Amino acid sequence: MEYGLLVMGAPYTSAAPHSALRFAKAVISRGHQVAGVFFYQEGIHNASMLMTPPQDELNMRDAWIALHQEHGVTLDVCIAAALRRGVMSDAEAKRHGQVHFNLDAPFELTGLGQLLTLEQRCDRMITFA
Amino acid sequence: MLHILNKPPHSEAATQMLSTLAKGDSILLIEDAVQALLHADWQGWNAATDVNVCVLKEDAASRGLSAAALNGHATLVDMEGFVELTAQHTKILSWY
Amino acid sequence: MSHEHERLVIIRHAPYSSNALREGLDVALVAAAFGQTVSLLFLGQGVLALLKEQVAGAPGQKATLPTIDMLEMYDIDQLLVPQSTLDALNLQVTQLVDGVTVVANDTLPELVQRHSYVMNF
Repeated sequence: MEYGLLVMGAPYTSAAPHSALRFAKAVISRGHQVAGVFFYQEGIHNASMLMTPPQDELNMRDAWIALHQEHGVTLDVCIAAALRRGVMSDAEAKRHGQVHFNLDAPFELTGLGQLLTLEQRCDRMITFA
Repeated sequence: MLHILNKPPHSEAATQMLSTLAKGDSILLIEDAVQALLHADWQGWNAATDVNVCVLKEDAASRGLSAAALNGHATLVDMEGFVELTAQHTKILSWY
Repeated sequence: MSHEHERLVIIRHAPYSSNALREGLDVALVAAAFGQTVSLLFLGQGVLALLKEQVAGAPGQKATLPTIDMLEMYDIDQLLVPQSTLDALNLQVTQLVDGVTVVANDTLPELVQRHSYVMNF
């Protein structure tokens, strides 16, 4: 079975990213696939390259990247939600005249249509917010 | 349908969830929703006929509510059980 | 009437206090633009998005009402509000924008069940 996850909570603010990550790992260990994670609303902060938690706390961005590298899970971030909250790629930063950027691969900025595509592709879509 | 609740049992989210419950649905309590273990009289425990109420074991344990879980009528599930519930229900709705 | 492959977006958050409402409506608009049939259910504080006397918020805070007015252009004409929500907030349907359908509380389970895609915002 193929799963898609919608994450709408920010790391270090909400339990949602932790629950989503634990769930994704459990899905995979049960022999299912996680096709992709879509980050929306406050969830877009999961993609920030600048998050620097203390050493005894999980770096949530690194954890998502590991999930991508080990299991091919796509990490899509809603571009409108991210830009208005100050999370953007090098290309978007240049386009908007910003000096810095804080999002790069494997996170991808994409439109809301991608959420619907993921939902249609997957057997199950689960929201963590 | 599987309803996933992550807010306390008397929150607006919980009340709204209960108003949409149908026969044959399941409820999974995660995160702050496991506080329902402290309320034996919570409406959700006996919300409707055939509604199965489960509690995520890890979230109850991390909040010190494992003992409360043993006294109640909740079905405890681990993360594997969580996945199993989502496999059993084609539609899943999160209340937060 | 069959509601296979139809989408229900549940709006549960009040305008201005967070972006949850606006970003939830965005999902409804995009789904409609993709050709899906979309209905909106305004539960609890979400109904405040439908008050017709709303005006713009604090300077720079975008108003919700123009988005509500836009729904019709996207063929989103099912704006559903449970009677219990009106009762709980002491609201009359006449205080809401045109085109709202008040639904009985005991129809909510069936309403949620019959849509293929249901999302909470």
